[in-house]
Amino acid sequence: MFRRPSLPIAVALCITVIALACVPFVLSPYAVKFTTRVLVLAIMVISLDLLIGITGLVSFGHAAFFALGAYAVYFVSPESESANALVVLVAGATLAAAGAFVIGVFAMLTRGFYFIMVTLAAGQMVFSIFYDTDIAKGSDGAYVNVKPDLTIGGSTLLDFDNRRQFFYVCLILLAATYLFLLWLVRSRFGRVLQGIRINEQRMRALGYDTYRYRLAVFVIAGAIAGIAGALFACIDGFVTPELASWRESGLAIMMVVLGGTGTLYGAVIGAFAYSVLEEILKSASMVGPFVAEHWRFGMGVALAAAVLGAPRGLAGLFQSRTWRAPAPIGTDFVHRDFARPERRAHTLSIRDLARHFGGLRAVDGVSLELQANFVHAIIGPNGAGKTTLINLLSGELKPSGGKVYLDELDITGSPPHRIARAGVGRSFQRTNVFGDFTVRDNCALAAESRAGADRKRIAHALDVAGLAHRDDSIAGQLSSGEQRQLEIAMLIASGVDLLLLDEPLAGMGLEETQRVVALLRDLARDHTIVLIEHDMDAVFAAADTLTVLVQGRVLAHGAPSEVRRNPAVREAYLGEQDAA
Amino acid sequence: MFALGPGCPGFNPGFAAPGMWTLSHMDLVLIQILNGLQYGLLIFLAASGLTLVFGILGIINLSHGSFYMLGAYAALTLTEPLGDVFRALAVGIPLAFLFGLAIEWLFIRHLYKRDHLQQVLLTFAMILIFNELQQTIWGSHPHSIPTPVYLTSTIRLTETLSYPVYRLVLTAICLALALAMVFVIQKTRVGRLIRAAESNREMVEALGFDSQLLFRFVFATGVALAAAAGIIAAPVESAYPGIGDKVLIISFVVVVIGGIGSIRGAFVGALLIGLADAMGKVFLPSFASVMIYGVMALVLVLRPAGLFGRA
Repeated sequence: MFRRPSLPIAVALCITVIALACVPFVLSPYAVKFTTRVLVLAIMVISLDLLIGITGLVSFGHAAFFALGAYAVYFVSPESESANALVVLVAGATLAAAGAFVIGVFAMLTRGFYFIMVTLAAGQMVFSIFYDTDIAKGSDGAYVNVKPDLTIGGSTLLDFDNRRQFFYVCLILLAATYLFLLWLVRSRFGRVLQGIRINEQRMRALGYDTYRYRLAVFVIAGAIAGIAGALFACIDGFVTPELASWRESGLAIMMVVLGGTGTLYGAVIGAFAYSVLEEILKSASMVGPFVAEHWRFGMGVALAAAVLGAPRGLAGLFQSRTWRAPAPIGTDFVHRDFARPERRAHTLSIRDLARHFGGLRAVDGVSLELQANFVHAIIGPNGAGKTTLINLLSGELKPSGGKVYLDELDITGSPPHRIARAGVGRSFQRTNVFGDFTVRDNCALAAESRAGADRKRIAHALDVAGLAHRDDSIAGQLSSGEQRQLEIAMLIASGVDLLLLDEPLAGMGLEETQRVVALLRDLARDHTIVLIEHDMDAVFAAADTLTVLVQGRVLAHGAPSEVRRNPAVREAYLGEQDAA
Repeated sequence: MFALGPGCPGFNPGFAAPGMWTLSHMDLVLIQILNGLQYGLLIFLAASGLTLVFGILGIINLSHGSFYMLGAYAALTLTEPLGDVFRALAVGIPLAFLFGLAIEWLFIRHLYKRDHLQQVLLTFAMILIFNELQQTIWGSHPHSIPTPVYLTSTIRLTETLSYPVYRLVLTAICLALALAMVFVIQKTRVGRLIRAAESNREMVEALGFDSQLLFRFVFATGVALAAAAGIIAAPVESAYPGIGDKVLIISFVVVVIGGIGSIRGAFVGALLIGLADAMGKVFLPSFASVMIYGVMALVLVLRPAGLFGRA
């Protein structure tokens, strides 16, 4: 969970801003220009941290939006008079945002390594467009002859050609960007972004359309980078395709990681640390002519050392290790009385469902009618297709054939967030709660996905799951049994009424198991539950119906006592259990 | 900053024969198909190492292009004392393999348990170091590498069309190396281990194989393949700063199109990109590189994990 900067850091940031504000009065014009350049870079880098550190999107094409912002200045500037400064900044943001939208629509289809590569290629495409065509003088680059200013009623309020004024414009915009992003990250939107970084699969299962969130943040970050690019074009009055090159994108990533990802202010530290180091290594008077001539070598070694030596970045050195409990979330929502009705939950009918992986028929024509308010257990040997079946029902996998109906609604092949919104929630075989968040924040995130973060509802969910006393604990510090309980609490809080649980009892001790079995029985009063489980005692204690899956097919289905007596089942499955 | 766009000198992987525009349309297409195949095979040598390193080691190696660049410069240094570029190739491949072992030991092995971001950062730092080495040793001017004298002639393909012999030999060598690699991967014990590790690394480790040793071998092989491509292409492409960046980007495009870890995918992707690039250069000169990325975008929209990747 993103933490507000601690008091010492906030004080340090304020002092830094004041110190920077003094720069034009004490340093040489060269140093002022250098600092201006770094301020502008910092705006771009901080927007990249929003993608990398907050949302987990490692974009390797961020310089493209920086370049689009810079070119926008060229496009809106008349040949021999100055453009309006506000128009210039808005144009930069708009062009970059438009570019980010077009690229993002495609790039968001991909993840991980593919995302890195697609954004890299997209950046190169922007580079090539400016380099190979005659737009803005092609590979030579183009000059903005007269720098923008802001003139209202004949008096010039701001002139970007005035070095000192422009310095302050950049400083104020950097501070404003930081404060805006601080607000954004701590908003509901920002919490969802962090959830996507930590576990996108789970966010989808909770009902968030993560594609849209990722696209939105990509466009926001692009627009901010565009503003930075527009400012950059005003420093030298020159735009070149090199601004979009992958090296610039790589440098921006360097700065983010050097400073420390996910802190926002770390990006500013990274931009300054990198630029100052480069400036020092290039300066013959400081490091001697030999080092200055081979400054890239020194830079490479310094960065390699930073990666291997300070994995959390420079900001990591400043962060205190003590945990400060964040303000409880969800308190700003209207309170509603949450009476727990004994209501009828959804039924699930599965008709001839199949999923093939190449020649392997993981699920091979399964038909089941799962009644409402029952606990349905699915058992079977390893590789029987149990998890695949759950993945088909929750939308993680698309079926090769067959149909799935939730009551009368056909949910066959719908994406996970649609199915979640229709009322189907799931847990995963490997526990994956959001380890950095508190127990309550985990539930709030789940509740916000569809029901709204009503405090009572969250409290109720925690109460039902037996976690009320741990609501302030960090989820990652819970025992594995408690994390399982938290997963169930999150499903309850999200308001779904059909639960798909993949081995909810795995790794639990006897006492925890009994508690969760009782919880499942209790939940069945207003939920339908489908669970995969290996613990046979628990299954017979908890389940109303039992389905045995072998090699992707239903071997037996019925009341547990009937299934237990079925000779084929005894042979295929329980026989092994008895022998063991 | 380096110019690494398709417009910069030396970028053209194909060979614009003098007076090319006097050729008929069909001949032009034929020449560009040959050029495209040759370029595609070259890129395949570089991309296959990249895809193996990612698929098996789980490492995003941005410095992979640098090994191609070092190959080109090794050709420059080795060709003169040894006589011709093929001898440089014979000496350069084992050297590159040893160099790869050293780099794995020095940098890469620290990255196996780190996230993608740190891999990107460290290998980016390696690019800076390699580029500076190249600048210090060989300077910033482009250098040409002589074609072996007995291969400087051209061969008549049709009545109006002739083609440099060296380029045909180059294509044949690339094809031979590619086939040798497929043979090793499909038919040998090491190859079976590589395929097993590509599909399930944990399982291979659980079976008791020394994954560290396998990783080192795979990485060094990737370095040797990239360097080999750099060496044999040197007489055609020459050696200049920034040549590695171009190869890196194109290789990544190929790996993404083919699907990460898939040698077959890298082969198909490389030929696709080689042909798209060669045709684009003639028919849409301003948009040749955009076209390459367009092909990639199209493939990813249709198959987000690449042509032969597992979703």
